Amino acid sequence: MKWFDELTERSARGIAKRTSRRSVLGGLGTLLLGAVAIPLLPAARGAEIPRTEDGKNPHWDDPTSCDYWRHCAIDGFLCGCCGGSQTTCPPGTNMSAVTWIGTCHNPGDGRDYVVSYNDCCGKSSCGRCFCNRNEGDTPMFEAGHSNDYNWCSGNSTANIPYHCSTARILGAVG
Amino acid sequence: MRAPTTAILRSDIRGERRPRGLRGLAVLAGVLGAATLASAAPAGPERPPLPSDVGRHPTVAVLPTPASKHWVWVNDFVFPHMADGTAHLVDGDSGRYLGTLSTGYSYSHLVLSPDGRWIYSPETYFSRGTRGKRTDVVTIYDARTLDPAGEIRIPPKRASDMPVMGDVALTDDARYLLIYDFNPAQSITVVDMKTRRFLREIPIPGCAFAYPSGPRSFFSVCGDGSVVLIDLARDGHVVRHHTDQILPMRADPVTEKPVRVGDVWYFVTFDGRIVPLEVKGDRAVVEPSWSLTTAAERAQGWRPGGLQQLAVSVRLHRLYAIMHQGDLATHKDPGKTVWVYDLATHRKVQEIPLKRLASSIQVTTDAAPLLFTVFIDGPDLDVYDAVSGHWLRTVKDVAATPTVLITP
Repeated sequence: MKWFDELTERSARGIAKRTSRRSVLGGLGTLLLGAVAIPLLPAARGAEIPRTEDGKNPHWDDPTSCDYWRHCAIDGFLCGCCGGSQTTCPPGTNMSAVTWIGTCHNPGDGRDYVVSYNDCCGKSSCGRCFCNRNEGDTPMFEAGHSNDYNWCSGNSTANIPYHCSTARILGAVG
Repeated sequence: MRAPTTAILRSDIRGERRPRGLRGLAVLAGVLGAATLASAAPAGPERPPLPSDVGRHPTVAVLPTPASKHWVWVNDFVFPHMADGTAHLVDGDSGRYLGTLSTGYSYSHLVLSPDGRWIYSPETYFSRGTRGKRTDVVTIYDARTLDPAGEIRIPPKRASDMPVMGDVALTDDARYLLIYDFNPAQSITVVDMKTRRFLREIPIPGCAFAYPSGPRSFFSVCGDGSVVLIDLARDGHVVRHHTDQILPMRADPVTEKPVRVGDVWYFVTFDGRIVPLEVKGDRAVVEPSWSLTTAAERAQGWRPGGLQQLAVSVRLHRLYAIMHQGDLATHKDPGKTVWVYDLATHRKVQEIPLKRLASSIQVTTDAAPLLFTVFIDGPDLDVYDAVSGHWLRTVKDVAATPTVLITP
């Protein structure tokens, strides 16, 4: 993640004020409106998520943070920042009929959960709280495991315009 | 003053177009304006000549033909405002911005016709911007004027994804345009560019993208590593062959961003292994793989990354790859160096340090090629000499979220 550090530094110097966290993460090169059911690799997670001195993720229970535990496989604008929540689409949008899932560890109870990242569709990009947790993604050849598709595709009501992503718990693993 | 003004007006017509219906009015306004200025000028010492555009008509530029091999189309899906896809044309030699196409929702990229006359662009529109009836079309632009010259209605199924070259391609004989569909059923839309009509939709369940492999043939790659070979040669009749699982997937899969030299498509894996796939007719053969990195480089975490992560010069028989250091999960990360390989010996022959991060690269097709680089999070286009690796220029503020680079 050297490039990420470099961009952050560039932004801090004010040379590229447009490079917010959102746009930096957009630079990962992934639309990531879909994601995969593979937990983050520890090294990659460590590179993206700030840690306290004892190695903990300080934002693990903040639903508006990219570092929130449920967001382990999300990519998109967090619906909680767009008028909805991690379980609810913003007013006037339509939840995608097709979804992708991740398996995320909840530090609060020590259990792993299957998380469903339903997209909310039918309006232009929300543009707030972009979050990209890219690890575990596969090439688009394996569509069901790729995060580079727009999963508003196939939504019969709102069609493909993508707005934001939720993070709903489907159930505990094991 | 009138005579010189009129002469300027006439000379300005060359190489430019004027809006129809406005010409007469523009001429009148220009002449009257110049006359007014002339009559208002006080008598006195001789004044410097007026600026050359005084009294000039409203005009619209046209592009010279044929296109320079050193032009590049920077495709942009404009992620924060996806209804406003664009493609930007830049001259790599001068750094001059030449023109724009406005290309609709979730744009992937354009395709240039081999004769240089047309630009084919699969596009998606909604009747109310981001809602209402969805219409997918192939817009045909005049490559000289960038005006829409035609439109072909296609099924509203075009894939909305991170743009890659396999989203849309032309068969080698330039007859059929192939468009990848994902809704989320997978298929290829085939458009006859001779009759300018939608021809058919070919289901490719479990497989993705269109990679041309002959005059009227292409292949798609399936999630299990098998390849489906499709031939359109027989009166539009589809003949297909499905291979065994020949491409690596799973732990170290090939990416969907290969480059082509003749019958060989060079795929690369997350870990930097080049997997050449030779496709001839109804046969697809994987040739021995080789690595972009030595064991020592792999130990240091060097691997390819980016969106359009590979480029190739067929003339020089060289492969270019965006490289960075990171673990396997950084397979899409941009890089700040391009490594260059001899395709015959598989040896690295050059490292090109970049002025800034790159997520997409392209090399021009001529004998003295340029290397273009963009970063999806940056607006600028960088231009390098693809042989020496020397940086030539930066073109500022070209695109919002540049994706795929295409050269004539």
